[in-house]
Amino acid sequence: MPERTSSGRARPRAPRGRDADSAAIAEVLRAHAEGDYARRVDVKALRDPALARVARDVNVAAEKAKERSDEVAARMEAVRLGLDQAIDAMVRLVVQGDLTGTLRLAVSDATLTPLIAGVGQVMETLKRFVKEIREAALQLSSSSAEVLAAATQNETSTSQQATAVHETTATMEELKGASHQIAENAQMVASIAEQTLSATRQGEGAIRAFMESMEKVRRNAIEVDEAVVKLSRRVERIGTVVEVIDEIADRSDLLALNAALEGAKAGEAGRGFSIVAAEMRRLAENVMESTREIKNLIGEIRESTHAAKEASDGNKRMAAEGERLGGAAMASVSGILAGAQGTSDSARVIHLATQQQRSATEQVVQSMGEIEEVTRQAQAGSRQATGAASELARLAERLASMVQRFKVD
Amino acid sequence: MSLGDLQVLLFQLGARVFAARASDLRRVAGSLLERPEDGVAETVLGSPWNPRRGLVVDVGGEERTVLVDGVLGLRVVPEPDFEALPAFAREVLPTAALTGFAMLDGIPTLVVDLPTLVREGERHRSAVPSEEESRHA
Repeated sequence: MPERTSSGRARPRAPRGRDADSAAIAEVLRAHAEGDYARRVDVKALRDPALARVARDVNVAAEKAKERSDEVAARMEAVRLGLDQAIDAMVRLVVQGDLTGTLRLAVSDATLTPLIAGVGQVMETLKRFVKEIREAALQLSSSSAEVLAAATQNETSTSQQATAVHETTATMEELKGASHQIAENAQMVASIAEQTLSATRQGEGAIRAFMESMEKVRRNAIEVDEAVVKLSRRVERIGTVVEVIDEIADRSDLLALNAALEGAKAGEAGRGFSIVAAEMRRLAENVMESTREIKNLIGEIRESTHAAKEASDGNKRMAAEGERLGGAAMASVSGILAGAQGTSDSARVIHLATQQQRSATEQVVQSMGEIEEVTRQAQAGSRQATGAASELARLAERLASMVQRFKVD
Repeated sequence: MSLGDLQVLLFQLGARVFAARASDLRRVAGSLLERPEDGVAETVLGSPWNPRRGLVVDVGGEERTVLVDGVLGLRVVPEPDFEALPAFAREVLPTAALTGFAMLDGIPTLVVDLPTLVREGERHRSAVPSEEESRHA
């Protein structure tokens, strides 16, 4: 069986003599080079004395290297043990959260002193951090609670604001409709006012024409009155003449009657005389009948002229009253005209104002729509902020709870 | 016209129409309203409403005027159309001035004796004292 090296490779068979010795030494050195300090050169097996000395030195060197290596290994083991203890102690402290104590190790290697000092510094730093984190967690918890309250309040306010904005938008929509209606009504009022103004002007013209007619009626009534007076005088003169004619006719009748009477007394001789007298009497009676008719006519004319006079006087009074009323109506219509003019002007101004109001209302409605959209977004953002604040508060409480597990005092 | 025919003068007194013999009249006078006391206004036949004519008669040689409302004219009454007043009526009536009826156009018209009417009136006035005489008495 061939001899095996520490790495398991087959060790070549040693040559005889010097070469074999060198090979043996080289093989051991290779093993040493690979860290196997336990290999030794079998000096007794060497044939070359020089190589045997070298082999002994190699073995001594190997022995010293092995001792040195064992020392280093022991120190490394102690350091490793110290590190493990330190790490275990830190892990325990961290896991248990008790930072009040100090690190004590079973290993007192000088090389671990810096490590222990560093761990102590780390512990102190950790304590300070925990304290600061605890205070920060408390502040964070308090602040997050305030933020949550503020966010909740903000969300509530935003919701109320959104509701108010929505109601305001609805109201403005109604106001917009009302503004449209008002604008149309104002336009109608302006049109009616203009028509009223035109009608009032026509009325003013009609009253002026009426007053001119009244003036003509009054002048005509005066002329009629004068004509009636003249007619009455003529009629009175006719009456006087008729009275004279009637008196003459009466005397003629009387004379004819007496003539007839004398004729009758004369008997047959006076018959022709009686006939003539009777004819005269008939004529006289005809005249008196005519004068009676004339008197009746004169009486009717007197009544008619009296009625005409009264009517004329009434016309004059009515014309004067008409003129007075026309003047009053003119004054009233002048006032109405001024009022209608003012109403028309005001209606036009109102119409323009309502149109501006309608435009402004439409702009306000549009702006309210935009505000409502922004408010809706703000409401969503506020809701998100509230959720985030709630999450933040929860995390703050969790952080505070976690930090509370560390004892630093 | 025959000898028996009657010439009458028709006159109106109040609402009624009477006839008088033309021969009893001297003349017909005009209105006496200016001096009504000169005429005979009240007779047994009544009083005129509006005395526009006067019938002048001769009474005892003096003229008397009977006031009437109007004279309608002269008419000839044929003898057959004149009826004297019946005796019974003459006895019953309080006056002798009504002498009979004249049928004029089928209407009976009283024929009046004007002088008798005047005399009866004057007798009546003399028998009854006037108001002034009564006051003096």
